[in-house]
Amino acid sequence: MSRHEELADDLETRRKRVLEMGGQKKLAARKAAGQLNARERIDHLFDPESFAETGMLATSHIPAMREKSPADGKVCGYGRIEGRPAAMVSCDITTLGASSSLTNVRKMGHLRRTAIRNGMPMIFLNETSGARIPDTMGAQGTGALGQDPEQFIRGREIPYVSACLGPSYGTGTWYTMLSDFVVMRKGACLAVSSPRVTSLAIGEEVQLEELGGWKLHTEKTGLVDYAVDSDEEALDLIKRFLSYLPSHAEELPPAVEPPDESQYDGSAITDIVPAERQKVYDVRKLIAAIADPDSVFELKPRFGRVATTALTRMGGKVVGVVATNPMFKGGALDPDGCDKITSFLVLCDSFHIPIVMLTDTPGFLIGVEGERRKAPGKIMNFMSALQMCSVPKLSIVTRKSYGQAYLNMGGSRNSDEMAAWTTADVGFMDPNIGVNVIYGVTAESDPQKFEELKAEISRETSAYDLAAIYSAQSVLDPRETRQWLLSMLDVHSRGRDRGFSRRALATWPTTF
Amino acid sequence: MAEEKICSEITGTVWKIEMGVGDSVEEDDVIMILESMKMEIPVLAPCAGTLKEFLVDEGSAIAEDQVIAIVDT
Repeated sequence: MSRHEELADDLETRRKRVLEMGGQKKLAARKAAGQLNARERIDHLFDPESFAETGMLATSHIPAMREKSPADGKVCGYGRIEGRPAAMVSCDITTLGASSSLTNVRKMGHLRRTAIRNGMPMIFLNETSGARIPDTMGAQGTGALGQDPEQFIRGREIPYVSACLGPSYGTGTWYTMLSDFVVMRKGACLAVSSPRVTSLAIGEEVQLEELGGWKLHTEKTGLVDYAVDSDEEALDLIKRFLSYLPSHAEELPPAVEPPDESQYDGSAITDIVPAERQKVYDVRKLIAAIADPDSVFELKPRFGRVATTALTRMGGKVVGVVATNPMFKGGALDPDGCDKITSFLVLCDSFHIPIVMLTDTPGFLIGVEGERRKAPGKIMNFMSALQMCSVPKLSIVTRKSYGQAYLNMGGSRNSDEMAAWTTADVGFMDPNIGVNVIYGVTAESDPQKFEELKAEISRETSAYDLAAIYSAQSVLDPRETRQWLLSMLDVHSRGRDRGFSRRALATWPTTF
Repeated sequence: MAEEKICSEITGTVWKIEMGVGDSVEEDDVIMILESMKMEIPVLAPCAGTLKEFLVDEGSAIAEDQVIAIVDT
C-alpha cells in the first residue's frame, strides 16, 4: 500500500467514525421512538446527492473529548432544495447533547456568514441542550464567547428558518427567535433554559409543556408558526415556506406558471361571505377562493386568529394576504393580531412580496385587557410598519371597516389601490355602537329612537360614498375580486424598481 | 379521560347554546354563539370529545378567558 493509499484509508476511517455520531445504541433508541437522526433529517431536507458538509472532522477543542465529539455535535453544510441552494445546521443530540461549544459555534458562524455572502437561506434544525460545560465555564470560558459582533444582527439579506425538533435551549433558541418561519415537533421544548435548570433556579417544579411546549408557542406567544407530529412533517413545512421566498434579498420571489384564468369561477365568494354584517365566516375560505388553486400557506394559524396572514400565489406570482377573520372575536383586531400582521409585513417588505389586505372588522378590540397588553403601541407599530412597507399594497373593504382600523388595513392612501365591495360599510365606528356613544340611546332603552338615529348615522357609509371622493378607486361585485387584484398587481408592479422594495423593515425585530 | 376547558375568547354575552350536555363534538364544531362587538361570534370545540358541562346560560354576561364549558376528551 502506498503512502497516499494509507492516508486515504485513514481519512475514510475518520469519516466513517463521524457518520456513527453518538453510537449505535443512541441512534437505535431514536429510531424506535420514530425520530430521525441529524443526518437522516438532512437526507429528507435536501435534494438527493446535493449535501456538501463543512466541518465534518471538527471536534471539541479539548483533546480528551475529541473521540467523543464527531462533527462536534452540529452537522453543518450546504445543499439544494428543489434545485435551489441552502445552508443548514442539524443538531446531533446523540453527541454531547448537541451542546454549543467553542468549535461548533465557529462552524455555525462560518456557515451563516457564507450563506449571507452567497445568498442562500439559513436553516436551523434544533435539538440541543444549550451551552456545553466545561467550554463555557469560568471567566475564560464565558469570555471566549461572543467573538462575532454581528452574530445576532438580522438584516434579512437571506431567509432564516428554524425547526425545534427536541429540546431547544441557548443558541438554538436564540437563532429561532431571529427566524422568519418556525416549526416545532410536538413534545419539543423551546425556552431560555431547560425545565430542570429553571426548576432549580426558581425552586419550583416546572413542566416542559408549560415552560416551552407547542401549545404555548403556537397559541399564546406566537413564536412558532406550526406544531407537527413528526420530523418529516416539520422538514416538509420548511420546504413549503421556502418555495415562496427568494433565496436572498437581491432576487424576486420565485414565480410559477399561472393557472388558466378561463377556468376560474368566483361565484363561491358570495356563498362564503354573508351579506348580513353580524354573521361570521372564515376568511381563510375567501382567501382560497381568490388565490391560485392550492397556493395558500397560512402563517401562525393558531395565534392572533382575529387576523389571517398567508403566503399565496396570484397569477403564479407570490402575494402576501393580510385579512381580518370575523370567525374569531368577530374580526376585531387585538394586540396579538396586530403583532402577527406586523411580523408578516416585515417578511413581505424584506423579500419583495406584494401585499393584499382584505378588511372586514368592527375595529380594534377595546377593553382593559387590551390596554394592559399595550394595544395602542401595537396598533401604531402595525401602522408604522404599513406606511414604511414599500412593496405594492392593495386593499379591499369587503364588509365593515371602521375608525383607525380602516387606516391600518390600508384604507385611503395607506395602500396603492383600494376597492370596496358593494357590501362595504365604512365609518368612524359601528353604527349600532355609535348611536349609544353619540346620543346615549340603546336598542333596549328606546327601540324606535335607536333605529331612527342609527339610520341617520348610517347614511353615507357605503362603497359608493367612499368611491365618490375617490378614497376607494373601485367598487366591486365580490365575484370580480380576483380579476381586479390580478389587474392591479400588474399595474403596481414597481417597474422602475424592477419589483424590489426599499426594505425599510428588513431589520425590524418580530418577536416584540 | 382528560378534561379540556373551553374559555371565551372575548367579553360579551351568550346568545345561543347550540349543543347539549352529553353531545359528542369534533374539533371546530360550533358549541355556542356569543354576541360581542355587535357580531355573532361562534365558540368552537378545541378538540374532539363529549360535552361534559356548561358553566353559563343563554343571556349570561361573560368575560374574556372565562371558562364557559368543559369537554371530556
